[in-house]
Amino acid sequence: MSYRLPLTLSCLLSVALLPVAVHAQDMIVDTTERKQPLTTWGIQFEEFEYRYSDDDEELAAWNADFFYGTDDFKVRWLTKGEYAIEEQAYEELENQLVGQIPISKFFDAKAGVRFDTPEGLDRTYAVLGVAGLAPQWFEIDANLYVSNEGDTSAALDAEYELLLTNYWIVAATLDATVAFSEDREIGVGKGLVSTETGIRLSYDLIDRAFSPYVGVVHERKYGDTADLAETGGGSTEDWFAVIGARIAF
Amino acid sequence: MKATKLFVASIVFSMSATAFAAGAHDGGHGHSSASGEPGKASEASRTITVEMYDNYYEPESINVKPGETVRFVVENKGNLVHEFNIGTPGMHEAHQAEMMMMVEHGVIQGGKLHHDMMNMDMGNGHSMKHDDPNSVLLEPGQSQEVVWKFSDKGNIEFACNVPGHYQAGMYGDVNFE
Amino acid sequence: MNIRLGAVLFGLLMPALGLAAEYDLTVDRVQIDSGDFVKEGIGYNGASPGPVMRFKEGEEVKINVTNNLDETTSIHWHGLILPFDQDGVPGISFPGIKPGETFTYEFPIQQAGTFWFHSHSGFQEPDGAYGAIVIEPEGREPFRYDREYVVQLTDKHPHSGDRIMRNLKMMPDYYNREQQTVGEFFSDASKDGLMNTIQSRMAWGDMRMMQADVEDLQGFTGLINGKGPEQNWTGLFEPGERIRLRFINSSAMTYFDIRIPGLDMTVVQADGNNVQPVSVDEFRIGVAESYDVIVRPKDEQAYTIFAESMGRSGYARATLAPEQGMEAAVPQLREPARLTMADMGGMPGMDHGSMAGMDHASMEGMDHSNMEGMDHSNMKGMDHSGMKGMDHGSMAMNQGAASDPFYAKGSGLMPKAANGGKFLSYSDLKAQDPLYEEREPTREIELRLTGNMERYTWSINGVKYEDADPIRLKYGERVRFKFVNETMMTHPMHLHGMWSILDVGAGQWNPIKHTVSVNPGTTVYVETEVDAPGQWAFHCHLSYHAAAGMFRKVIIEGGPDSNQAKAEVVTEEGGEA
Repeated sequence: MSYRLPLTLSCLLSVALLPVAVHAQDMIVDTTERKQPLTTWGIQFEEFEYRYSDDDEELAAWNADFFYGTDDFKVRWLTKGEYAIEEQAYEELENQLVGQIPISKFFDAKAGVRFDTPEGLDRTYAVLGVAGLAPQWFEIDANLYVSNEGDTSAALDAEYELLLTNYWIVAATLDATVAFSEDREIGVGKGLVSTETGIRLSYDLIDRAFSPYVGVVHERKYGDTADLAETGGGSTEDWFAVIGARIAF
Repeated sequence: MKATKLFVASIVFSMSATAFAAGAHDGGHGHSSASGEPGKASEASRTITVEMYDNYYEPESINVKPGETVRFVVENKGNLVHEFNIGTPGMHEAHQAEMMMMVEHGVIQGGKLHHDMMNMDMGNGHSMKHDDPNSVLLEPGQSQEVVWKFSDKGNIEFACNVPGHYQAGMYGDVNFE
Repeated sequence: MNIRLGAVLFGLLMPALGLAAEYDLTVDRVQIDSGDFVKEGIGYNGASPGPVMRFKEGEEVKINVTNNLDETTSIHWHGLILPFDQDGVPGISFPGIKPGETFTYEFPIQQAGTFWFHSHSGFQEPDGAYGAIVIEPEGREPFRYDREYVVQLTDKHPHSGDRIMRNLKMMPDYYNREQQTVGEFFSDASKDGLMNTIQSRMAWGDMRMMQADVEDLQGFTGLINGKGPEQNWTGLFEPGERIRLRFINSSAMTYFDIRIPGLDMTVVQADGNNVQPVSVDEFRIGVAESYDVIVRPKDEQAYTIFAESMGRSGYARATLAPEQGMEAAVPQLREPARLTMADMGGMPGMDHGSMAGMDHASMEGMDHSNMEGMDHSNMKGMDHSGMKGMDHGSMAMNQGAASDPFYAKGSGLMPKAANGGKFLSYSDLKAQDPLYEEREPTREIELRLTGNMERYTWSINGVKYEDADPIRLKYGERVRFKFVNETMMTHPMHLHGMWSILDVGAGQWNPIKHTVSVNPGTTVYVETEVDAPGQWAFHCHLSYHAAAGMFRKVIIEGGPDSNQAKAEVVTEEGGEA
């Protein structure tokens, strides 16, 4: 190798002439972006769809979140809602603002507030939750809510994706809500409140940014909650055909 | 930082004297009339010194007359084991497979030759002796002679068939005047 | 490239200095056309890749770099041995080059070979800010060639580096389109049996690891010298000529397996340093590595240079031909690579009992230190008489296909030559002319390569750069780094400023490299002669791993003139007191 060149005069001279002196003040401190926590953000609409029920009801529905932050702390805004197109009313409108920190390799803890402002009475909740990836690839989001009325409830969302191909994906979702006390004003009975089960077949059209899908969603109310709904003249079980798109950017 | 010369010529190379006698074909090193035949030192018309470096020869081509007997003094001035072998490209190619075996069996390691292993029985009566008259295999610092009577014609090269060396360009042309 | 030889001036002023040369580089916004897409990127002197910088060993170079961007930039001279303040890493070597500013690099060229240069700021390098360096030696090369070409590879992606990083943070599998599907489940089930397949899927699902996690970034177009497969960069030759191909992998994320069907390649240089020539049919080039090979096409025909990505999600292609327009068949991509449990072997605290179908025996000997028995020099004292009639087949340790000690035994990444021939292994690399004397290292530093794919965090010893203290080395010592890869990904570790002497078990013939690839589930040792004062970057060269935290600063304590520096500091402090 060429370093072994005989140390000629020219080499000696060039070394002597070069500023090889390492002065302490030359050793700069890294204050570049690289030394800062990496800040990132994202917007994901897990669901953004039109629903058509077996009772000929038409709904617009979405389930989205926006996050901003670092590996150690993120702020997340979760929003979901169902808008009855004919009635021009929000059957469901829920916004959460939570802070999120990692607690294990695959799970984060979340804490924050949730605002429910649908047609009818509003509620504000304190939220405590965990979200992450469970073994066998189940995406889990489990939350505990305490309302401003003092009622507590819990919700579990689970999702599983099955890859028919690397572009055709079947996503199965299950959302279940349990109330530990009754909140009659908003039609929630004690016990298992409701489930929403969905299955959607999507195709990744533009990267993972835009993936149109079709699917079927089943919503059901249980126990006292179902009784309350029946009393109010509402349905306790609905089937929907859905068409929409997953969006991420 | 300077590296030292890692190898000094401390090991006596004990290639058998039969190197200059035709006949030992244990390794299957062929030499055919295409390249010539072992010559007698007394008939040599001249001496050509060939220096072996890592991984090239100096000179990289020589001129000979058809039928001329040349005494080659081959000196390994590199840090690696090198060969000086007179033959056709086809002979070199065949020999490269044998040399590959010598490397795989640890007979040739960088700058060292393990002679004791060269006598190892490879089965079928073969060994890895390197004792053909058309070639020498030298450790760094060693020097040896090859006397060769060239044939009348042919595409002849002198080459180092240590794996990779020929491919990297360690060969020289024999041009007939 | 605008080269102004200042030799005349220098020759008058400092005759002993010999050669001196001045070069100008501008950093520009450029258009990059991959053949599949056109995007805006960053280049040098108006193009990406930038020019091939041709230096001569022994010369003093002066390179004026003008930043025409609206953001800070920098140029790192990858693999060059130079004063640390010329190394071009913002925040470590210097503050960076601000928009509109011209920075002049000045350093002596004290080596020869194939190297490259790239921006060390943000994601400018994946965005196109790279070029090749060719240094002509003072003496002759230890090999012969009639012509030479730079063959510089990259994985050009339609997305900008910033967007890729953000997408990976949002969804780590955003770009992975080689994931296991329902179809693969059934084909595996018919091949390996239903229960075995279920068990295997459950084992991976239990770990939440993907067998398909070989390439984070897919969807790229492989470029050679800036040309996509359709644009087909072509190098001309005359049959019988010896051609030196200087392969440089300037990819952000992609390892390539390179072959030229119909031609043997003789590797003569790795990372710019001469190695004892070894002829291969195929070789894998890690990100940031370089390999120089010599080929000798004898026939009047075209040959395809085929560079297939390690995960088989894409390729680069070029042609060697006697005349423009000729081309040869382009091979098909092979099946996507799948990790095996062997690749997971480095993960700490794993419940190995739960790993269905795992062959524990296959994990033995993964620690490379165990391989030292392969050092042939140890065989000196062997009683060879007892070796008669031994099974010679079993001794063919270096013969490709079977196994490569630099991969976990049974690894899904174990390379195989497409034609069944010889695939280059690190253990084939032996220094042609060792730069350093062999000596005992003064100490060992363990660096565990760590990360979390689901969070897309990458770190060393579990600590990201943002939270890490610098690694402190002492000038004059020889440090042994022990890389333990605890992730499922391959990491090309690049130490700036000093050579990494890669332990391939060849003692004093161990090769020196600037970038050392550490495969999943393996331990690799490198030694470094700490002979360059200052502070240096040390990182995984996968762009998005480095940015996610797999990065360190190395401070060299002591060394030439630094005592003087310390004395000055002491004096200053004393003055204040």
